[in-house]
Amino acid sequence: MKSKLTWILTPLLALFMSFALAQDKTISGNVTDQSGLPLPGVSVLVAGTTTGTQTDFDGNYTVSAREGQRLRFSYIGQKTAERLIGTSNTINVQLEEDAQALEEVVVVAYGSQSKKKSITSVSTVTSEALENLVVTDPQSMLQGQAAGVQVVATSGVLGAAPEVRIRGNSSIGSDSRPLFVIDGVPLGDDFLTGGQGGGQGLNPLASINPNDIASMTVLKSASATALYGSRGANGVVLITTKSGTKDGKVTVTLDVNTSFSRVTDTFDLLNTEEYIEVRRRNGVNVTSLGADLDFIDIVFREAVSTTYNLGITGGNQQTNYFMGMTYDDQQGVLVGNNLERTSFRSNISTKANDWLTVGLNFNGSLQKFDRTPIENAFAAPYTIAGLQRPDVPIRDANGNFTTGGNVGGGNVVAQELLNLNLSSQTRILGNFFAEIDLSSLVNGLKFKSDIGFDRVSVEAQEREVEILTPGGSAFNSINQQNRLIATQTLSYEKTFADKHNFNFIGGFAYEQNDRRGIAVEGTGFLSDNLLNVTSASLFPTTTSDGTTSRLVSQFARGVYDFDNGKYIFEGSVRRDGSSRFGGNNQYGTFWSAAVGWNVSDENFLKNATWIQDLKINASTGTSGNDRIGNFASLGTFFVSPYNGNSGLRPTTLPNPDLRWERTTGIDFGISAGFFKRRLNIGVEYYERVTDDLILNVPLDPTFNNGLNGRNENIGEVTNSGFDVNVSSVNINSDKFKWTTNLNLGFVKNEVTRLPETANIDEAGRRFVALGGFSGQRAIEGESINSFYLIRALGVNAQTGNFEWLDADGNATTTPVQADRVIAGQANPDLVGGLTNTFTFGNFSLSTLFNFSLGNDVFLNSRGFVENVRSAFNKTTRTLNQWQNPGDIAIIPSASSPTIARYDQNSTARLEDGSFLRLKNVNLSYNLPQKYFEGAFVNSVRLYGTATNLLTIKSDGMSGFDPETSSGGGDGVGAIGEEFFNIPQNTTFTLGVNISF
Amino acid sequence: MNLIMKIIMKKINIFLLLVSAALFFSCEGKLDVLPEDSIVNELAFADESLALGVVEGLYSSAQQDDVLNGTWQLAGEWMADNVDFAGTFPTFNEVRQYAIIPTNVSIFNMWDDNYETIGSANLIIDNIPSVPGSTFTAAERAQAIAEARFMRSLVYLNMSGWFGQPLQVGAGRANLSVPLVTSSEPGLELPRATLGEVHDFIEADLLLAIPDLASGTRVKATPSAARALLARLYLIQGRFAEAAVAANQVIGDSFYALSTNYAFYNQRGSTEHIFTLANNADDGQDSFEGFSGLSNPVPNGRGDTPFTNNLIAAYQEEPGDLRFTALQQSGNDANALIRIFTNKFPNFQNRDDDAPVIRITEMYLTRAEGNFRANTSVGATPVADINRLRLRAGLVPPLGSVTLDQILNERRKELAFEGFRRMDLMRNGQNLRRAGMPDVALSVPGANFTIFPIPQAVRDLSPFLDQNPGY
Repeated sequence: MKSKLTWILTPLLALFMSFALAQDKTISGNVTDQSGLPLPGVSVLVAGTTTGTQTDFDGNYTVSAREGQRLRFSYIGQKTAERLIGTSNTINVQLEEDAQALEEVVVVAYGSQSKKKSITSVSTVTSEALENLVVTDPQSMLQGQAAGVQVVATSGVLGAAPEVRIRGNSSIGSDSRPLFVIDGVPLGDDFLTGGQGGGQGLNPLASINPNDIASMTVLKSASATALYGSRGANGVVLITTKSGTKDGKVTVTLDVNTSFSRVTDTFDLLNTEEYIEVRRRNGVNVTSLGADLDFIDIVFREAVSTTYNLGITGGNQQTNYFMGMTYDDQQGVLVGNNLERTSFRSNISTKANDWLTVGLNFNGSLQKFDRTPIENAFAAPYTIAGLQRPDVPIRDANGNFTTGGNVGGGNVVAQELLNLNLSSQTRILGNFFAEIDLSSLVNGLKFKSDIGFDRVSVEAQEREVEILTPGGSAFNSINQQNRLIATQTLSYEKTFADKHNFNFIGGFAYEQNDRRGIAVEGTGFLSDNLLNVTSASLFPTTTSDGTTSRLVSQFARGVYDFDNGKYIFEGSVRRDGSSRFGGNNQYGTFWSAAVGWNVSDENFLKNATWIQDLKINASTGTSGNDRIGNFASLGTFFVSPYNGNSGLRPTTLPNPDLRWERTTGIDFGISAGFFKRRLNIGVEYYERVTDDLILNVPLDPTFNNGLNGRNENIGEVTNSGFDVNVSSVNINSDKFKWTTNLNLGFVKNEVTRLPETANIDEAGRRFVALGGFSGQRAIEGESINSFYLIRALGVNAQTGNFEWLDADGNATTTPVQADRVIAGQANPDLVGGLTNTFTFGNFSLSTLFNFSLGNDVFLNSRGFVENVRSAFNKTTRTLNQWQNPGDIAIIPSASSPTIARYDQNSTARLEDGSFLRLKNVNLSYNLPQKYFEGAFVNSVRLYGTATNLLTIKSDGMSGFDPETSSGGGDGVGAIGEEFFNIPQNTTFTLGVNISF
Repeated sequence: MNLIMKIIMKKINIFLLLVSAALFFSCEGKLDVLPEDSIVNELAFADESLALGVVEGLYSSAQQDDVLNGTWQLAGEWMADNVDFAGTFPTFNEVRQYAIIPTNVSIFNMWDDNYETIGSANLIIDNIPSVPGSTFTAAERAQAIAEARFMRSLVYLNMSGWFGQPLQVGAGRANLSVPLVTSSEPGLELPRATLGEVHDFIEADLLLAIPDLASGTRVKATPSAARALLARLYLIQGRFAEAAVAANQVIGDSFYALSTNYAFYNQRGSTEHIFTLANNADDGQDSFEGFSGLSNPVPNGRGDTPFTNNLIAAYQEEPGDLRFTALQQSGNDANALIRIFTNKFPNFQNRDDDAPVIRITEMYLTRAEGNFRANTSVGATPVADINRLRLRAGLVPPLGSVTLDQILNERRKELAFEGFRRMDLMRNGQNLRRAGMPDVALSVPGANFTIFPIPQAVRDLSPFLDQNPGY
């Protein structure tokens, strides 16, 4: 004991002595980079103190310190250097380039590459960019984070699937969602639930826990996605989950946060008095039914959610692991909308011996949704809120729920309180891999075998009670998606003569995707207490169905680079065979080629001070889109019974020649750092031509046995544009650091060719009808999602008539369909995001704006909530109805002959959908060590996050969310259309993150 | 050295094992996967069982609400004077307000679904003769084809009423009707046929079908159902004597008899029914826009189709009319007002109420009107037929004589909510709306918006189909 004390005290005493004896002196010097050029702005700090300075423009510094202390020189992109202060008063330092910073690794298809040698178009979203987000699904993590990646939040309801487009919309009739791959396993993303009035079911990727995600890589160009072959055309998002460490330390991180949400913007509805007045003006006298309610207040609430997240990382040189657990209890802003999630993940890998590494990634999650019908559903609360008369009471004088007078037959408050509408989703996802180092056979040769499965099972339980559904009704279904993915790869890496690097990977993959579903329904219950179908007396539904698809692939990629990546050549090829396509075209081959030149490695730039990392690259390649369902090439009859006998009805027409949609892309990229990498700019130009588009070519049912269309490979769409990335370190002092990251994606989207069999519009252009509420069209020579509408002029102040423009541009009160013109388009010209991060002492503040420019939105619910002839409630805009000459009104005179048709589809419902949104603000504070010194805790971070705090949008979008898409996120058919979409939420989150 | 060799050999073995595993996984996949729950086209007429399945499918196709299960049967009632549409569907309100736009989606769906039924019939007629199998007898094949002819005629008669003006206005037989597609060959480009051509085709097809049809069912085509449809056609055409004769023939079939009360709705075995579409809970009306979905009050139904005051007044002219008192329910309409609704289709929840397509009462009414206007008394006098129906309705004493207006008024009260009213008014040259009702001026005979537009989506694809005036 005594000796120990001595051991501790002696050095301390020595230190004290040195403090006491040493004198402060002035030390000066000059700092240069590896090329000997002066480095301005280098931080010079006396180690262990807060004393320090920065080098001036010529790289010179002066600092006060004592002999025996150490000076620390640090600068971005350079290795930090330390020098012991000796007797000399001059210390000159030459900093070395930090190779590690340049060797930043980028995850790519079936492997990874150093950032320097990556020459296809790839965007990485790092863990720093992800850690401050409060989101519940992986798609939302990409919003505003990567150039050319557009993420539209389609609805504010829990579980809504965001719409993701990478470099524009490259498909008219097929699903244009990108492929998501998690730790090398392509994810199943079939919608296993119904939309309940929305365009699509619950987000299939909502079961992927954002807390498990370490980083995401977006493969954007055809050259980057060619290795995913028939599924690469919409882009590929590679998710890397968290992994363990090698340093022997175990870190436990606990994060707890609570969120408060409310809806951003909603309709402004008439009260009872106003409602009666609007009806009276339009010739209908109604008497109040007694109530005066604002249904917006009734169907929305302040929602409170809590999330607990536990992460454990650890490991050593041999074995490392990550374990994660999340429990999430979320309330939606809409009454009756809730979600409870539990998710576990375990990633472990171990080096069994010098030639074998094995690993297992395993993820189990359970999500219990309490769902709410939305949008176009029979009893969607927000829809009902917009339509229900404000004078209809929710409860009668005795406190019982009313049912009469409620739009859609129900009482949405009773419905959300009494009915069951549950969907519980279980996902088990994992892969096991073994990597065998075959260097004993051939140096640099490795074999990897990876077997994964992905099983999603969704059980829906619905129960409607007696007062809302006389007799009661119950529904129960189970839908499953089971996927098996097996991948075997051989990789080879070799350097010859120190300068010639070869990198090769080749392999086989097999995937099978099985879908099964069963559903039962019962009606006629004795009591609401009998919950399940078994207690019913009639059984309207008893079904069971299944379908299978298979994909067989061979692929290879080779990379050659000269002189540590000065010149890089890359090529890849993949051959896919898919059961989804016609017998005549089951196999397809996809390829890519790329060249890159790290110009900064050339002698003439090696010593440049103003520019670093200048890289130029070009690539081209092809990839495909197979998202057309399993049997689109077959003509079939479906089973449809009559009077207890099984019957057959024709349903589709065959096309044995059906093949993949194929995207061919070219890309040019240039990137460089400036001012010692304080400013980094990357610009890419791309052109993606998608031909062989698969379209359900509309056929006139009159002459085709009632069938509406046939799948054909026709037409061509071109997306071209620039992706721009700018990141900068604006201020980098000891106390304050400010960094900015701006990404911009400019897209021009055009239907470049449609077949002769396409429809011809009034102006002689070929088009394909996309449907939707507005009758959206893909028109040759125009945007893929064009709004084709009659132009509305509005109410004539003198006559009180509603007026439109006819085809020739003259005002008319009797427009016809031939007066429709291209009035707008749903795809933005520019999407992007702007992130600023400020660090000052223990505080850090980050803000994320995202924006969209140049797209139009069709507000279809206006046809309901602004229709003065209907008995529904309406928005306050309808108070502005023409009464007297000179009135500037929205609604025509009640006696105008245009009153019956003024609300037909026209530009009166089309608004500019551009917006700028403060998507995320995060303020966090790292508690100083002194508060928990001695405790087992390593760090404590307190944080607050606000989501959707501010939205700037056009006046016409007042009451609506600019991010809207009733069609849903799969991209089939019309987009950019609103129909009682639940607006986004504003959320405030408070949390604490403790690590020990 | 030996040891090293051993290790290397061992590793090579592992390597080979893994590579062969890879090959196994990659080659095992069979890409020829067929659907598990549908039949590919090539097999649909491959044998008798499947071919007869397509015949069942034809009736199933007609079960779509848009075809025979109520959407348009009820829409005719609110386009005329029986129903005061109170619902939310804008496309239905356009019909109610004579403010239809050619892009009206409901009307496109109706066209699409009706031509699907016609297409199924054409497929059967074209393919049944070549179905392999000697056990599929000539008589069975002929019957299947005759059933298809019957269904096709029924759908064409309905469609011709919606999309063109009736014989009684304009150019009469030369009025444009719907395209007459009679072959399953895809891609034909036929212009709209005239009403005369459509009527002639229906008549010929029914006459062709009658000898091949089998009797003894109320849920499928029978000889009497085909004759009853002929009687309906003749009445629409104003061929009153022939209508009376055809109706009389059906009345003479002892398989049918007037039900003694009004409990026959949804009673599939009742002698009242000549052809009723069998709807079951697991295979019923296919939306909430059919008979049961629209016609029940809230919360039992949508509350969309209450009686008009004019229809109530028609019943209340004489007290105790059972067709009013026994066949009504009162409840909330979609706008929270207490209204009177029909209870002919009360099962909103399961939507399994049968569709009353042709019933014997119609034949009595047709015989009465045919005889009255042809000045004949085939089978019975008009007053006898009308009194028979009035007696069942509880209206006594019997009338001594009847007028045409009385016959039509009885027809209205008997067949309300079953889809007859609009055509009955049109063929008699009357306004669709009575004085004091909304939009009377737009409802006069021959007015543009009393008939539907050819759907825009159809004309986009087949511009050679002329649009109706005003659209």
